[in-house]
Amino acid sequence: MISVQLILLIIFGLAAIWFGWRVFMTSSMVRSALSLLASMVAIGILFLVMEAEFLGVLQIMMMGTEMSIMAIFMMMYMMDPGGLGQMDMYHQKNISIAAGVIVTVFIVGAALAADWGTIATQFPGPHEQNRLLGMEILKRSMMIFETAGVTILTGMIASITVALSIKNSVEK
Amino acid sequence: MTPFLSGFMITLLFVGGVYFVAVLERCSMTGNVSWSGPARSFLLLFAQEEIKTRKHDKVFFETAPILFIGVILLTISILPFSRGSVVIDLGTGALFINAALVYIMVALLMAGWAVNGVYAMVGGWRALAQLIAYSMPVVMALTATVMRAESMFLTDIVESQQSLWNILYQPVGFILFYISALAIAFLPPFDLPVAEGELAGGVWADLTGARKLLFRLGRLALVLTLSVAVVVLYLGGWMGPWLPGFVWTFLKTLLVAASFFAVGHFIPRIRHDHLLEYNWKYGVPLALYNIFQVGVVLLL
Repeated sequence: MISVQLILLIIFGLAAIWFGWRVFMTSSMVRSALSLLASMVAIGILFLVMEAEFLGVLQIMMMGTEMSIMAIFMMMYMMDPGGLGQMDMYHQKNISIAAGVIVTVFIVGAALAADWGTIATQFPGPHEQNRLLGMEILKRSMMIFETAGVTILTGMIASITVALSIKNSVEK
Repeated sequence: MTPFLSGFMITLLFVGGVYFVAVLERCSMTGNVSWSGPARSFLLLFAQEEIKTRKHDKVFFETAPILFIGVILLTISILPFSRGSVVIDLGTGALFINAALVYIMVALLMAGWAVNGVYAMVGGWRALAQLIAYSMPVVMALTATVMRAESMFLTDIVESQQSLWNILYQPVGFILFYISALAIAFLPPFDLPVAEGELAGGVWADLTGARKLLFRLGRLALVLTLSVAVVVLYLGGWMGPWLPGFVWTFLKTLLVAASFFAVGHFIPRIRHDHLLEYNWKYGVPLALYNIFQVGVVLLL
């Protein structure tokens, strides 16, 4: 059955793959990072198309910040961030190709072999989804999320504590 | 009032509001009220020659202004102007505001990188530094408003303020969101990405004609959008006696927009590294306190 939803899924799925490919086909760090961002946004839109509103919006929000921060770190640490020297984004070509082919075959095989069950026709609305997600996080998956949450909070506090204060006055 | 008529009125008021913000912006910079000034600037940029810098990044150069104005239009579409007057009532509206506004920074970063100029690039990276500073307090302040409404629908958040506006219920959250809104719209005192005196316009230093026009218009719309967001989240949205809901929304919005420019007029610029330091050392703990306080009051 071909529906608008399916067509959008195919379009944004292909967009995600195309932008993922662009990540390696450019020699500029910033273009590479923002291509990855575009790929992630396409995946976020896939969630939205599949009516998982919270996950879609969360994915789009988180990736915007994360990929931009990645861009600035790549700018800081690479010797040719602008790609003027035509540097490559990939290394060890033969091993990469082999790894890529094997992983693709494995993923396609898993997707074809898996029992996906029946396609859901009834699903809760966005508000109910948010509530159910909250219930999941605070009931069955509480341990996992609390561990991750507290770890991140500790990391945040630790990094603030060790951050050097910047002195404005010139001291001699 | 029929939905069509109220929709028309809201569009008209929004366009008028953008013009009013342009007049306010001029007034905050020059001290003179000039009603024809923004129209003259508009015509100037509209007719200006498009100059492209050497070796510019074509894709980013064309995408950045459209992305900038696109995310602002998306944000406007989810904000409720009165009961029932919302284009898309999203079940994750409160989160969506933040998600869309992150891409303001992405657009600035792209524009800064695209023109192949030093001032623009420094401006773009400053926009990112500011985002790292304000992103945590703003999302935590939003969380506290969602906690009270027990829903991420923006209409529910307005309804939850029936008895007491959020500005009084969670003043710490309001202050954090208000300051962050100034930083999101890169208004003074946080106008470092486009610092006129120092980077000669920063991100939009090398942009001319239609692209600059899109950025300038986008920023004015952004200021108004953020003012509406402040009104919806903290100032009771459309609530008020006698007048129709959307009139109250716009009255409050224009007041908030005017206060943005007044604050910017009197406070000196805050450097991005200072903003990072203040926000992470004081802003984040305050935002956590705000969530705790709202939680305690809700449980009492």
